[in-house]
Amino acid sequence: MTSSPPQTEVPARPSASDGKAPRTSEERFRELVSSVKDYAIFMLDPSGRIESWNAGAERTKGYTADEIIGEHMSRFYTPEDLARGLPGTLLAQAQRDGRVESEGWRLRKDGTRFWADVVITAVVDDHGRLTGFAKVTRDLTDRLRAQEEQLRLAQAEEAVRLRDEFLSIAAHELRTPLSAVQLQLQGLLELPGGIDPRIRARVERACRSGDRLVTLVDTLLDVSRITTGSLTLVPGVFDLTAVVQEVVERYREHAVRAHSPVTVRSTGPLQGRWDRLRIEQVVTNILVNALKYASGTQVDIVLSGDESEVTIRMADGGPGIPESEWERIFRRFERAAPMRNFGGLGLGLYVARQIVEAHGGTIDLAPGRARGAEFVIRLPRSTAPGSAR
Amino acid sequence: MSHSILVVEDDVDIRQALVEILEEHGFPAVSAGDGAEALDYLRKAPELPCLILLDLMMPVMDGATFREVQRKEPRIASIPVVVLSAYRDLDRHVNGLDAVSVLRKPPSVRELVTVLQAHC
Repeated sequence: MTSSPPQTEVPARPSASDGKAPRTSEERFRELVSSVKDYAIFMLDPSGRIESWNAGAERTKGYTADEIIGEHMSRFYTPEDLARGLPGTLLAQAQRDGRVESEGWRLRKDGTRFWADVVITAVVDDHGRLTGFAKVTRDLTDRLRAQEEQLRLAQAEEAVRLRDEFLSIAAHELRTPLSAVQLQLQGLLELPGGIDPRIRARVERACRSGDRLVTLVDTLLDVSRITTGSLTLVPGVFDLTAVVQEVVERYREHAVRAHSPVTVRSTGPLQGRWDRLRIEQVVTNILVNALKYASGTQVDIVLSGDESEVTIRMADGGPGIPESEWERIFRRFERAAPMRNFGGLGLGLYVARQIVEAHGGTIDLAPGRARGAEFVIRLPRSTAPGSAR
Repeated sequence: MSHSILVVEDDVDIRQALVEILEEHGFPAVSAGDGAEALDYLRKAPELPCLILLDLMMPVMDGATFREVQRKEPRIASIPVVVLSAYRDLDRHVNGLDAVSVLRKPPSVRELVTVLQAHC
């Protein structure tokens, strides 16, 4: 151990010529208190009238020392707290217990409220006689707001979780009786010996409605899988051109009803490793949208590819989608057109984008078209098994 | 083995519809409401069915557990199983079940009959 030179007190800064520099420790302490900005620290006389004021008090409550010294501390309390006599109660408690702490709304000079943490300490002389109170107030409004915000966020997240859970349960529950109805209808259509043609036509129509219901319910199930991260991909190697042609073929009748001829052009077979059912779903969703929103116009599908990725372009001649809407329409429950004109859940593009992104690809709208909408889907040739989020 | 089909399905309406459709197309059918009931039936049945039509999600004992137990019991292990799944992504749920066929619910009557004719 080496001996260090004796500590010498750092001399106080040389007195300024105006003679106002603090000299005694009490004066230095007063200066320290008066310069504190984060806490309002001030003294009260035994009746609660303000005797001193610091920078923090001015900042927190908005009064200057000249304005407030001599006033009663009840001035900081809200009418509700005044009505229940809170200032007097707090002072009485501080006197009885030596100290009291409370949190609550207090008033600033301009009438606005802040959330205060207040500690009032009784000050007594050598004989135990009350000489006044020291009051320390901290503005916790920001902390309270942050807590409230956190609570609101948690409540919102919980509401979303409950909605998704309900969606999932509802979809599962709807699916079972729907299957039973479809089985019965199909059983009627396939009765050995046949059925009356008039009944057949009606049952067939009921079957078609049942198919639509199944599609809607399955979409809800997909959404709940996506939100829980359980939409898993099962990739296999297949020719995208052939799959797109199959989907178009499946919707041929639908296209005729919509008066929308659908063309498919491709540079040839486009092999890749993707989840076939899911890619069919993407192409179907975009095609069905085109037939719905751009009916009466031609739908052109163009496929191309290079070594690393393939591109599907699906263009229609309909009203198009304003660029300002391009991000919104890929969100859940959103749609390009007003709801009252077109049915549907507003989930098709959302599901499509989730599936494409799970494949490591992108789906966007092509800019600069004079007419109609053009969706551009890019898929890397190979996808590792994974899940959508 | 007989030419009957064992339908294992918990939803009573689907179960009845399947049994009726099968019988109308010449396949005598018996049914069970879950995997445990199905095992119970198979262990006691003097004549075994030629095929089991198996739902996956069922209370008490689900389809996967039923299949696991079935494959360990020599007397009933070789009865072929056709899985019925409510899901669009069928193969996610039937990996490892070793089913001779997987049909999506509700199966079309034609595909159902075609599959059954191939095995019974």
